[in-house]
Amino acid sequence: MVGIVVVSHSSDLARGLADLAGQVAGPDVSIEPAGGLPDGSLGTDDDRVREAIKRADRGDGVVVLCDLGSAILTVRHVLERSSNGHVVLADAPLVEGAVTAAVVSSAGSSLEDVTRAAEEARGASKL
Amino acid sequence: MPASCESAVTLPVSVDLHARPAAEFVRTAMGFGASIAVGANGREADAKSLLSVLALGAKAGTTLSLRADGDDAATAVEALAGCVSAFD
Repeated sequence: MVGIVVVSHSSDLARGLADLAGQVAGPDVSIEPAGGLPDGSLGTDDDRVREAIKRADRGDGVVVLCDLGSAILTVRHVLERSSNGHVVLADAPLVEGAVTAAVVSSAGSSLEDVTRAAEEARGASKL
Repeated sequence: MPASCESAVTLPVSVDLHARPAAEFVRTAMGFGASIAVGANGREADAKSLLSVLALGAKAGTTLSLRADGDDAATAVEALAGCVSAFD
């Protein structure tokens, strides 16, 4: 199954969203948080992102979702250095994208389909 | 010519179509090649899209319409009706 990585400036936010997506999608999908800096402050950290990608990767690819600004730069930086071609940064809203990606992954979909579903979440109306 | 199939199923009285049941519904729908629409409260959603199914806001006891088009339409509708009836 395609793994999911949630990157946020806040470690609480990343962990909370990983929990939420895991509750909705069920236990089979690997959803890993990468939030905050090692000293506990707000920010994004290359090593945390790299480790989370490694943990989420079960061989079918990984979709990475980011909150804002430098989170995207951090992920791009990590992927530039260590891309093995099956880790994708999705251009998607964080909460809706992560939950959607997790559910689509739980149905056994491909990396391409999981990424597309996360990105389509941008246009979804809530009401 | 692809088959078409329609049916209706009512949500159990204790289950709103919130995130977890909706995810189970969508996962079931994704197992079929047919295109599937689910309707409630006069609106219709792609049964394979979690966010669009959630946006239906279907409350417990609501009747959902199911419509599938494709070779496995009948099996898909049957599986989805079974999935909804089994929510608890």
